[in-house]
Order: sequence, then C-alpha cells, then structure tokens
Amino acid sequence: MAVSVKYYTNRFIVITILIVMAVWALLFYAILMDEVYDNIDDGLKNQKIEIIREAYKNPEILENTKEFGVNQFKILPVEGADDELDKNRFSKEFIYMPYDEEDEPYRVLRTGFYSKEGKAYSLEIRTSTVEEDDYLINLAISLGVLYVVIILSILLINHFVLGQAWKPFQLTLDNLSRYRFGDTASFKVVPTKVKEFEELNQQVKHMIDRNEEVFESQKRFLENASHELQTPLAITINKLELLMNDTTLNEDQLVKLSGAKAALHRMVSLNRSLLMLSRIDNNQYVVNDLVNFIPIVRSLLDDLEDIAVFKGVELVLEGDIKEFNVNFNRDLAQILLSNLLRNAIKYNIPNGKVVVAIGVDKIEISNDTNSGALNPDYIFERFYKGSQDNYSNGLGLSIVRSILERQHEIELFYKYESGKHFFVLQKK
Amino acid sequence: MKVLIIEDEVELLRSIQDFLEQERFLVESADNYEGGMDKILNYAYDIVLLDIMLPGGSGLDLLRSLKEKNVNQSVLILSAKDSVDDKVLGLEIGADDYLAKPFHFAELLARIKSIVRRNTQHGETIIRYQNVSLDMDNRIVMVDEQELPLNRKEFDMLYYFLLRPNKLLEKTTLAETVWGDHTDQADNLDFIYSQIKNLRKKLKDAQAELDIQAVYGVGYKLV
Repeated sequence: MAVSVKYYTNRFIVITILIVMAVWALLFYAILMDEVYDNIDDGLKNQKIEIIREAYKNPEILENTKEFGVNQFKILPVEGADDELDKNRFSKEFIYMPYDEEDEPYRVLRTGFYSKEGKAYSLEIRTSTVEEDDYLINLAISLGVLYVVIILSILLINHFVLGQAWKPFQLTLDNLSRYRFGDTASFKVVPTKVKEFEELNQQVKHMIDRNEEVFESQKRFLENASHELQTPLAITINKLELLMNDTTLNEDQLVKLSGAKAALHRMVSLNRSLLMLSRIDNNQYVVNDLVNFIPIVRSLLDDLEDIAVFKGVELVLEGDIKEFNVNFNRDLAQILLSNLLRNAIKYNIPNGKVVVAIGVDKIEISNDTNSGALNPDYIFERFYKGSQDNYSNGLGLSIVRSILERQHEIELFYKYESGKHFFVLQKK
Repeated sequence: MKVLIIEDEVELLRSIQDFLEQERFLVESADNYEGGMDKILNYAYDIVLLDIMLPGGSGLDLLRSLKEKNVNQSVLILSAKDSVDDKVLGLEIGADDYLAKPFHFAELLARIKSIVRRNTQHGETIIRYQNVSLDMDNRIVMVDEQELPLNRKEFDMLYYFLLRPNKLLEKTTLAETVWGDHTDQADNLDFIYSQIKNLRKKLKDAQAELDIQAVYGVGYKLV
C-alpha cells in the first residue's frame, strides 16, 4: 500500500528513536549507578578512617558499638585474624527500615583493623543507598514520557511542515493531470522554494516542450506530405483527363482509364481528408461567428436527396425550430453536419430512414441499421472501419471528433436504441 | 480569349495549356515569378491563372502588383497549398476565385467562364447549342422559344454539358461539381444515372435537338 511521503519516514523515526533512547537509557543508568556507588563507597571509606582514628583516641567505643545504633556501624573482636583483615569488602544488602516498613537497600563496608593494643577487630559500616528498582521505574517513566513527546512533536512537524513543503508537488501533479496534449498553455509551472521541486518543474516543462515539438513537427509533416502529394496527383489526373478526350479511344480503353482516374480520386479524397484533419488540428480554422445550423442542415439534405433516393433511404426533418445558433466556424459546421448526414445515409438499410430531429438545444441524427451498437471507443479513431468497406476512407468521424475537440459550444453523443444509431449534437 | 497561366510545375502547366487550347483559348504561360511578372506588366489578358508557390517569389505578391497595375484584371488562383489563410488572403487582395489542386478540367473551364462572364464584355451570358440556350445570369433554359423548367442540379448539369458539347463528362466530375465539394469520391456514384435520366426526359419532352449519351462505365456526353 502506498503511503504519503509525509508519513513515509514516521515508522523509521518511531523505531530508531526507540532504539536510540533505550541504548542511551542503559548507558546512562550504568554510568550514573557507577558514579553513585563510587561516591557512597568513598564516603564509607572516609568513615572507616574516622572510626579507626576515634578508636585509637577513644578505645571505649570498641566496647559499646557491638550493634548498629545511631552510628550505623559496629565493631566486633575477631579471633585468629588473617592478613586480609583490613581489606575493604563492599556489598549490597537489604535491611529493614522502620520508616518505610520494609527492607531497603543498604551499602555495607566490611573491613577490619588492629587496635592500639594490637587486637584484631572487624568493622562493619552501612549506609542507605539508592533504591535501584524505584530508580529504574522512575527513569523508565520519564524516558517514556520524553519518547512520546518527541515522537508527537516529530509527527506534528512532519504533518505541517512536510505538508507545506510538498504542496508545490501536489499542485504540479494536479496541473499534470489537467494537461492536454497539444495545448502547452494547459500546464502551468508551480513556483516553489524547494530545489528538488524546482528541478521537477523544469524537467516536466522540458519534457512537455520536447513532446509538443515532436507532435508539432509530426503534424507539420502530415500537412506538408499531403501538400506535396497534391501536385503530382493533379498532373496525373489531368493528363488522364486529356487522354480521355481523345475521340479515337474505344470504350474499353476509356473504362480502364476511368478506373485509374477513379483510384486516383480516392487518393485525392484521402489526401484532402488528411489535410483537413491536420488543418483542424493546427487550428487553421479560427474565424468564429454565430452560425445557424438549420439552413446548413436543410441545404445538405437537399444536396443529399438524390443520393438518398437512389439508395432508397428516406430523409426526414423533424421539429419546426428556425434557429440553432452556435458560435462556430462556418466551414467546419458544414463539414461536421455533412459528415454525420453522409454516414447516416451511407450506413443505412434499404427502405430505411434518416431522421434529423431538431430541438431547442440539440440536433439528433438517427439512422436505421442492422449492424447493432457501435463501440464509441473506436468509431472516432482514424481509419477505423466497422466492416470492410471499400467506399469509405475511415476518416469521416475522426474529422468530426477533431472539429468538436477544438470548440466548447457543443458536444456529440452516440447511442444505440432499437435498431437505430443516434448521433446527438448537444449544446453545452 | 487570352489566358495567362503562371505555374511552376511544367507538366501541369502543359496539361492545362493543352486543355485550354483544345477549348480554343489563346494561351500564354510563365513558369516562374520573374517571367510571370514580365508578362503581367506588359500584356493584357482576359484571365490569369496563378499558382501561389512559385520559384523566385510568392504568387500573392504577383497578384498585388498585378492589381496595382490593373484593378480589373481577372485572376483565378490555382493552389496546391489549399489552406484557409491563403484562400482568404488571395480573395482579399483581389483574386476572383480560388481552385485547389487537383481539379477537374471541366470545373476549371466553368470557373474561367463564369469569371470572364462577370468581369468582361467578352463573356457570353448565354450559351447556345442546337435549339437550346442557357442563360447563366438568370438561370433560364430555353428550348426554341419555350422555357424549360429545371431544378438547380439539372440546370448545373446541363451547364457543364453545354460548356463542352461532344466531350466526355465523367461521373466523378459531375458528382463533385454539381453535388458539392464534400462528396466523398468513394461514394457510389450510380445515383447520377437517375438524375441524368430525368434531365434527358425533360429535354426530350421539350423536343430539344440534343441528347445526353452514356459512355458506359465512365460518364456522359452531350450530342
């Protein structure tokens, strides 16, 4: 699962700080305890020296300090003392403390000395020391609090600071999703103080510019190639035409020449369609004015009547609305409607109908079919042909799409209902 | 009628020249900017056919100097660069019409005739053949002294036939010139057959001394 960069570092921080603090706490505890025992032991050794001095000056304490009293030491005579009598031996013991009503840790120094008379005595000095378990618990609690506070601070800082810092990145992403190929203005560079994002901006901009350049030169190439084809086509067609004027040709020869010419005309038509596409894509049709679609539809229906009658297709115009005004390029409106109507006639069934229903804000062109629903994902693609169809160059609907992509006034829907294709031009 | 063709593609130039000479035009030609300029400045023509992309300069510049010299000179632009801007600009500078390459000769002829008809005294507004006369300006067809009512397309078809009687007129040419620029070339053109049939019937009923003959699989001719 992807996690936001804001939280991406958090799990590492939580674990790392936990480990660091645990190690630190152990070391801290060990060093501190060492220092504490060192101090206590020094104090006990100092006390030992003072007690031995006192015993030399004042030997009766040897007799009345056989038990721990207020002095917290006791002196006992030792029989058969060895060499190690005056060696310092430290230990930790639990001794009952009335104040706490329980055994508490004491530091005990066991040693010995010889009195002025040369008699051996053992000396035991004790002093209350730190309660290690309590100390450990307290240490753990305060460290725990510290840990939680640090983690919370980091999370908060990450949340706000990183959120702020990554904002330009988020904006860049949004802009990228809004970017449309062929429209450089649709991507805007986000100003940022973060070096990496600035770099990202530059690279994205650079990439877009490069792609647009390639796209642009590809479009130009298409246009230039189509243009360059026009002249040789013109020469060939016109030469054939001159040849066909020769009255000595027989019918068979004429038919062959005519066939060659017809094929060339298909090429011309394909070439013109490609040129038209590239011209539309290159925004060469810019002059827009308020165009009334109705007279265009009427005159197209009039033009197409003969073809329709020949194909046994009935053209029906429904609705008595006089005006369907759209801010549009007049030539493109003509091409748009012409392509849709021609398709409706071409892909009809014998004795079928083409119905143009004009509403206040939509023009619905429907035709009978027995092909079933078309896939709207493909029909607008270049050179897509539903069935193998020699009478089509497969560019009609992609020209329609290109025309509609370059304006914001109307949109086109396709639907299939009870044996009819519907192409609906809807005002936005 | 005197025509000047300024066109850098020699083969195309020769074809157009051949065709127009067959149609009994007096044709002169130039295949570059300088040559075109030279001819334009020194002679007068009924119409100039002008290509836009020329070696040595733009046809549009030629058009400008031509219009400076003689505003009434008729000009038909022939261009392979069939771009909207060029078309608009050419017509703004003063060209009479614009024909994109490749074109049908019949269409070229019709355009030349209609420009000349509009601009000069030479232009015949009425075309006569046998006992039929066709008045372009008023769009009236007379057989003997009787008016023959035709619809728009029938009239246009007859006009194209009358421009070149006894010459073959192909179906594709008819479809494109009469039924509009956007006729898909690949459309089935058999629908023209029934239109021709109607026209023939009307001509026959009016006792016109001309007929339209089918040239099987190719087109028709007026006899």
